[in-house]
Amino acid sequence: MSNDPKLVVIFLRGGCDGLALVSPASDPDFIAARPAELRTLRQGDGAGHKISHDLADVDFRFHAQAAGLSDLYNAGDLSVIHACGLSEATRSHFDAEARIERAASAGGGAAGGWLGRWLATQPTAGADLPAIAVGTALPGALEGSEAAVAAELGNLILAQGHWLSPALRARISAGFGSHGPVQASMQQLLTLSDMISGRIWSETDQAIRPYVPLVDYPEGNPLSAPLMTVAQTFKLGMGTRLATVDMGGWDTHVRQQGDFAANVGNVSQALIAFWRDLGPLQADTSVVVMTEFGRRLRANASMGTDHGRGGVMLVLGPQARGGRMLGRWPGLANDALEEGADLAVTTDYRQPLAELLGSHMGTRDLATVFPGFTPTPLGLFG
Amino acid sequence: MLTRRAFHQSLVAMAMMASLPRSATALSADRNTEVFLNRLTFGATDADRVALQTLGREGWLEAQLAMPITDAGLQQRLTDARLHITYEAGDDGENRTWIGIDEQRPLGFLDADPAGQVDLLNFEIGMDFSERTRPAQEVIAASLIRAVHAQAQLREVMTQFWHNHFHVNALKDETTAVFFPSHDQIMRQHALGNFRVLLGAVARSPAMLYYLNNADSTASPANENFAREVLELHTLGAENYVNDTAPNWRDVPGAADGLSQAYIDQDVYEVARAFTGWSVGDGRTISEGVDAPRDGLFHYVEAWHDPYQKRILGVEFPPHQGPLADAEQVMDILSHHPGTARFVARKMIRRLLTDDPDAAMVDRIAAVFLQYADAPDQIAQMVRAIVNDPLFDATPPGKLRRPFEFLAGLYRATGVEVAAPDMSWDWQLQQAGWKQHSYGPPTGHPDTAQRWSSASTMARMVDYALYAHDAWFACTQTPLAGLAPAQASFDTLGRFWADRLLGPGAEADFSDLAQALGVEDGAAPLSLTGDEAQGLSTSFIAFAAVSPTFMLR
Repeated sequence: MSNDPKLVVIFLRGGCDGLALVSPASDPDFIAARPAELRTLRQGDGAGHKISHDLADVDFRFHAQAAGLSDLYNAGDLSVIHACGLSEATRSHFDAEARIERAASAGGGAAGGWLGRWLATQPTAGADLPAIAVGTALPGALEGSEAAVAAELGNLILAQGHWLSPALRARISAGFGSHGPVQASMQQLLTLSDMISGRIWSETDQAIRPYVPLVDYPEGNPLSAPLMTVAQTFKLGMGTRLATVDMGGWDTHVRQQGDFAANVGNVSQALIAFWRDLGPLQADTSVVVMTEFGRRLRANASMGTDHGRGGVMLVLGPQARGGRMLGRWPGLANDALEEGADLAVTTDYRQPLAELLGSHMGTRDLATVFPGFTPTPLGLFG
Repeated sequence: MLTRRAFHQSLVAMAMMASLPRSATALSADRNTEVFLNRLTFGATDADRVALQTLGREGWLEAQLAMPITDAGLQQRLTDARLHITYEAGDDGENRTWIGIDEQRPLGFLDADPAGQVDLLNFEIGMDFSERTRPAQEVIAASLIRAVHAQAQLREVMTQFWHNHFHVNALKDETTAVFFPSHDQIMRQHALGNFRVLLGAVARSPAMLYYLNNADSTASPANENFAREVLELHTLGAENYVNDTAPNWRDVPGAADGLSQAYIDQDVYEVARAFTGWSVGDGRTISEGVDAPRDGLFHYVEAWHDPYQKRILGVEFPPHQGPLADAEQVMDILSHHPGTARFVARKMIRRLLTDDPDAAMVDRIAAVFLQYADAPDQIAQMVRAIVNDPLFDATPPGKLRRPFEFLAGLYRATGVEVAAPDMSWDWQLQQAGWKQHSYGPPTGHPDTAQRWSSASTMARMVDYALYAHDAWFACTQTPLAGLAPAQASFDTLGRFWADRLLGPGAEADFSDLAQALGVEDGAAPLSLTGDEAQGLSTSFIAFAAVSPTFMLR
């Protein structure tokens, strides 16, 4: 285990079609149920990247645009957990995301989100920035925490470069006495602003010192800037343990083929750039990629897929023996489908998360993070 | 992120002689008046304060509810407004070319016949992408002008509420963008009207039909996207989704008695079937030799409809009900359902009053929803009931102005003209997570302070307060000095802006500003150049706006 472990949680919002990301390409039920455009094929132009595994007697393929993921898998850095998701049957974005991010039954006494509860178990004394949610709002998983929220670190600097900044700082410090959430946020802004300014603000240039990554990130890729912020944050040595990143655009109800391919390409290319940019920090860092649900096995009549159940989770980073497919493959025969429609959930989404927190992050008190959950280890870490 | 004005402001500092800091003597401001106006408008102005004093609360509210949709001043501003459009000459790769454009163009799509917009979706005609999305950009540009300048402020507040409730990402793609003006008209027209009528108009709104894919939904299998959101976001709400506890329709409470109290996926599937064939007249091919009309309006395709029997919320639908009847019946059921009443009531209370609506108050307002379910002024009745509820005054100001509301409120308070906005404000608001009419998920923007009070969002509010009146921010060109008294001291000028932003006589503390400027005598007359006066007023505005009094309503 690393002495300085870090976790990155990437949430694909909208319900990523796990059956197209990691396709059971040879499964006759799959072939029968979906038009070729919504499957990954074994040959031809759009042939997927063959996955070496011992999960089931099925030719699984990464999507054709997932060359980066395939490379990471073959290098032993990435594992795939298929047929993974919520145990409760919900096909609502809102409901599924809320349940996953809360990771506890409502009203069960466990407040906030799972990452918020996890942060509370961590000794963060001395850490300048224990957690960052990259974006503009705190995700549900971090509710109950005081994680910093910022699309880029410079956004946390108060009135950047303005000559009135010190006076505003004084006014804010004195002027938000007893006003609940705003007071706490303003106080956090002042603290973070001082801390971040000290690290990235150049008085000489009156500008932010730009972050210089080890490798170029792909342009026009919605994950590039967020993941660069994560890498920068980790490298600044602010005691950061956790970063979250959201990516939208996975709710592919119509003409899924093109949008989905672009999304997969973006994830794959940005992730491999991020991984290389981390350099030696790879040994400390785990990345988990998750979504609220997979999508319906059968396509709808507009060449898209509706909300389904079982999906795919990816774990990147040091592990016992990466480059495996883990869990249990239930198959796609009619009687194996959940409610006759969807890939069944055979691995609870909390299982990989619990193993990451326990083995990678060294967390003992998993019952606080996932109350009521009984782990059945996949063996991510042996 | 932003430019610096250190030069001008240091000139201001030099112009300030004299002594004395904190002379902010607080007369007791009428906080109730301020909070009342800030809840029901995009921010109190001096004109509102006078109107409220003259008419009284009830008179002011009735006047707002009765006000026509537009007013001459607003109409003139929308007519005068120019939105910059610029792109280079290009081609689409198939020899269709276009010339470069760089012009200030009127908002011509706001009231245009949508038939004229259908060609923006014709890819046989080469044009730059920004031409195809122009209708949506115009609505976005107009939204700030309306929020700042509309006389019918309450209608505009509720228009934006319904936009968020029946959210469409106008910039999802060309199709949602092209038909967004008519979607915007629907929201404004029915903002204070009847929910069932509004729901029916939304289900026929081409922008919505595209956004949630119903335009392509045919039997079979139907596309579930719109149907699911109708139940989850528009009517019963996720709070009434019980799929994990009820495996079958019979298991849902109430189903056996003829009306389910909540819904499950089986209802989603059936509602999707009910809406098959609800599409758009965009010239699409229906079948061999049959095309839809090209009028840019709702178009029902009987051949795409799944006509067979259905069971929705425990109600049996007979087969072959005839054109439109299945979905109309679904909307009748939903808009008279107690679950919808509670869901919509709670959201309205959350918008107008508090992040955490009181359960008994939700029940009271839901009862009004049901009582007036068939009345043309159902929503106005709900607004009245909320304002007249005992909890309206008893609830302390705790709603955080979200980024759009903060910016609009700032401009309303200072009294500047926002008549010809560039779109840079839209980009600025996006840095705080606010995407006016272009938020990604169909939920619309969240409506609680917790989601808008991160440190980086607070930092953006500070930026808006500091820079929103600068010329480069490209929203307003009104000189602040022209609004403020010509003969002023540091103290009287501070008092002037505090009155405007926080309410007459409201407590304001400019001592930190005085100190930064080296002001020793706050009562000494100022002698400022135009730039200096602008800089000093801007500073007062920023210090007044970055305060709980301004930020919370």
